[in-house]
Amino acid sequence: MRRLRALFIRIAALFRKGRQDREVAAELETHLQLHIEDNLRAGLNPDEARRQALIKLGGVEQTKESYRDQRGLPLLETLFQDFRFAVRMLRKNTGFTLIAVLTLALGIGANTAIFSVVNGVMLKPLPYRQPGRLVSLFLHGRGLDRGVMGAADFLALNERQKVFEQVAAFSPSSIGFTLTGLGSPQMIPGTRVTSDFFSVLGIQPALGRSFLAAEGRPGGNLSVIVSHHFWEQFLHADPSAVGSSIMLDGRSYTVIGVLPLDFHFGPHNELWPILQLQPPRQRPPYWLLTVGRLKPGISETQAATDASLIAKQVREQFPLSDDTNTIVVPMKDLMVGDSSEALLVLLGAVGFVLLIAVVNVANLHLSRSGSRVREFAIRSALGAGRRRLICQLLTESLILAALGGVLGLAVAYGGVRTILALSPDALPRVEEITVDGRVLAFTALIAMVTGILFGLVPALRSAGSPVGDSLKEGSRVATLGRSARRLHGALVVTEFALALVVLTGAGLLIRTLSQLQSVNPGFNSSHLVTALLTLPKGRYASAPQFTSFYEQLLERVKNTPGVEAASITMSLPPNLLELTNPFHIEGKPDVPGQPATAVGEIPVGTDYFATLGIPLFRGRLFSDQDRSSATHVLVINENMARRYFPDQDPVGRRVQTGEYDPKGDWYTIVGVVGNVKYEGLGEKDQPTMYVPYFDSGWCPWFVREMYIVVRSASAQEKVVSGLQSAAWSLDNQLALAHVRTMDQLLYESVAGSRFRAVLFGVFAGLALVLAMIGIYGVMAYSVGERTHEIGIRIALGAHRTNILQTILREGGSLALLGVGIGFVVALALSRTLSGLLFGVQANDPLTFAAVAAFLLSVALAACYLPARRATRVDPMVALRYE
Amino acid sequence: MGEKKDVWQGTLALMVLKTLQALGPLHGYGIARRIEQTSGDLLAVNYGTLYPALLKLEQEGYISSEWGTSDNNRKAKYYKLTRAGRKQLDKEAREWEQTTEILARFLAPGKESA
Repeated sequence: MRRLRALFIRIAALFRKGRQDREVAAELETHLQLHIEDNLRAGLNPDEARRQALIKLGGVEQTKESYRDQRGLPLLETLFQDFRFAVRMLRKNTGFTLIAVLTLALGIGANTAIFSVVNGVMLKPLPYRQPGRLVSLFLHGRGLDRGVMGAADFLALNERQKVFEQVAAFSPSSIGFTLTGLGSPQMIPGTRVTSDFFSVLGIQPALGRSFLAAEGRPGGNLSVIVSHHFWEQFLHADPSAVGSSIMLDGRSYTVIGVLPLDFHFGPHNELWPILQLQPPRQRPPYWLLTVGRLKPGISETQAATDASLIAKQVREQFPLSDDTNTIVVPMKDLMVGDSSEALLVLLGAVGFVLLIAVVNVANLHLSRSGSRVREFAIRSALGAGRRRLICQLLTESLILAALGGVLGLAVAYGGVRTILALSPDALPRVEEITVDGRVLAFTALIAMVTGILFGLVPALRSAGSPVGDSLKEGSRVATLGRSARRLHGALVVTEFALALVVLTGAGLLIRTLSQLQSVNPGFNSSHLVTALLTLPKGRYASAPQFTSFYEQLLERVKNTPGVEAASITMSLPPNLLELTNPFHIEGKPDVPGQPATAVGEIPVGTDYFATLGIPLFRGRLFSDQDRSSATHVLVINENMARRYFPDQDPVGRRVQTGEYDPKGDWYTIVGVVGNVKYEGLGEKDQPTMYVPYFDSGWCPWFVREMYIVVRSASAQEKVVSGLQSAAWSLDNQLALAHVRTMDQLLYESVAGSRFRAVLFGVFAGLALVLAMIGIYGVMAYSVGERTHEIGIRIALGAHRTNILQTILREGGSLALLGVGIGFVVALALSRTLSGLLFGVQANDPLTFAAVAAFLLSVALAACYLPARRATRVDPMVALRYE
Repeated sequence: MGEKKDVWQGTLALMVLKTLQALGPLHGYGIARRIEQTSGDLLAVNYGTLYPALLKLEQEGYISSEWGTSDNNRKAKYYKLTRAGRKQLDKEAREWEQTTEILARFLAPGKESA
């Protein structure tokens, strides 16, 4: 208590110095006078009395000093003093301060921006109640890592499990639901969920209520919960809209609730219709994602054991299905997906950029402290301790770092916005990427650490040099001498090593992007427009309804001016494969216990191959003769022909798809076409089967959602409006979704690679500029310092090209050493990138050589200016310096 | 140096408090003289140590100060003991007596073996 009271008084005393100084002077004066009077009384003469008193009492100034120390807080006052002095120094050297602060702001800003992304995507807990207990369940078996569940699996789990508080299934539809009755028909993205979905997450609608159990059962009232955004846009933010009905896919749903404004689950979900699961007659198809809330005290392993048991029971019920376990994955892992690897690599790269910035500022600091050697020498001669000097320098660098941090925050703010705008689809959880408290703390921390890092090097050096030497140095400007030049050199080498690592990473990722973009997708992508059409269940049920709709539609589209060809397909290149199916070759029995291989199977219109420009290698394409319900034909791709029918003609062979059925229909292979990428441009060619969409095994069940592809030389808008009016002329309740040109699809399919390449490229650019500034600064400094020496050399007859060479060689060898070290480091680190690369090896010699050569030439270019200046040294001027 | 000073500072504070208790309000010079006299001139108090000690005691609330006039009409700052100071004096005096007693036992010859 007493100490605290004293502390407050002492802090208060900091602000009342003047008056207190006068008071203590008066008090001491009284003391002295009283003493003198006593001495007089003791019989001394006045002079002697005064002398004795002064001797006895010691120095008045020392007393005042120690009195002051007791009165205030000397440590704090020193700090203030350092602070004021540092601010004065930094203001005096605006150029230095500006460059240092900008450099740091870029470094810190880039780091903060990337950290914001990492924080939002990976670190923040999911925005639901007790998110740590939310998990997702997957089937896991041979050839199946994270398989989604079918209705049989989920219903059994929901009924029999004992380890979860609740489980729910959901089925996202990025395509969405056809909304009619509110303006023109539109596709609204949404996710079907079972009745417990929101209570599993612990989310209450902001308006209305959650689903009732009865609504989740087949035959229950169809209800839907909508997003806040949907409610504002389509329901005019009217609270009484809860309870009204909207038409989705041609069926009436009651709006029972509106979600909170800040609720997010997966990308772009506006509608949450109830998912009613029918008791299944077979185990497939597998199409349900799951979420469960673990009971307190139940581990993921226990939950997986319990759920696996249920999976075994389901298999006993459906013995033809695959034997699987159930695995439990934290919900967050599912949400974050595989983006964490790329993010961590980016964070590492941007960390390197910050290191370069730090080295740069340390270098600047060091150059400047060279001209301050005398200042420090004088200060330490006057009694400043080594600690005091280091503190002074650290204060300066911390102020710089703080300024850099504040400015960096602004950079980060803009950076985060740019990153989000750059690639909205390349990242999960984008809504949660913000500059929050944790990000601010991170910025403060790195600013402080960088401040100490770049401040310490010069601080230790200048404070360590012996006073006498610096004062004795007779030259006009005190110089740093050899050891400092070595330190400068070491810093430049470090900088180039770091820059090479970042540049190599950028080089590899940029090459990956260009390789991906030059992949042949297997068809002609120009002048193709695609859109998705969903035929609602209510009005389209039988095969003839579907075929007649599609035939009429395609007929009208083909008759639109400018259209060269049009067709339909269930899956689209380059990465929209909707379905894979096991297949069995006639006369080649499956290996028992081994699940049959599943390959992509795509229902298409007869003109699909012609529309996309996919070449036919053997046999024939589909024709109208295949329409008979008894005919079953397939076209396979070249990869499938080579892999499963090596050295033979597959045309005429028969296969069965789906579960093997001895009495089932056999499909005859009639043709072999070229390979097309359906699983991403970066994937190897995969076997693919095509089946006519009107095939009786597929129509009408699987052809409700089909992509329309149109080849036309006209502008995209014209094609789309033609398509739209053709569709509406047949059915005015239909909406086109996912309207894209094929070139857009190709572009979007490499969004992740582009995102990484662009960010890495930006970081590499930063690294390059910083390294350039670094080597330029050091060489300019070195030339300036050696003006005298160079002058003598020129006076003695050195050729100017010799001087140029000397300087260039000096800078070049530093850069070369840095590049050499960086080469080794990059070689070791580039392996971490290998998962993100395509078409280029992690140690690709071409990239490495090109980057090294580029960096070296940049270094030489940066050295050229100072070298030129060196050759222009006038020997007379240089000599007169002395 | 540091250690010695601390002990000195501690005992000086105690002496100041005791002096103020014995003589009532007193200025710095009076306190210094009284301590020197009491110690039989074995101690010399200079104001380099006295005034910071007085300030510290005041900051801690054990003494308070007031400007007044001395016997021979000089403006002087008078210090007096506060209630907290009195308590602190009792406490410290007791502790000090205990310490010296313990030390005395250690230093007294012969008794150790008993």
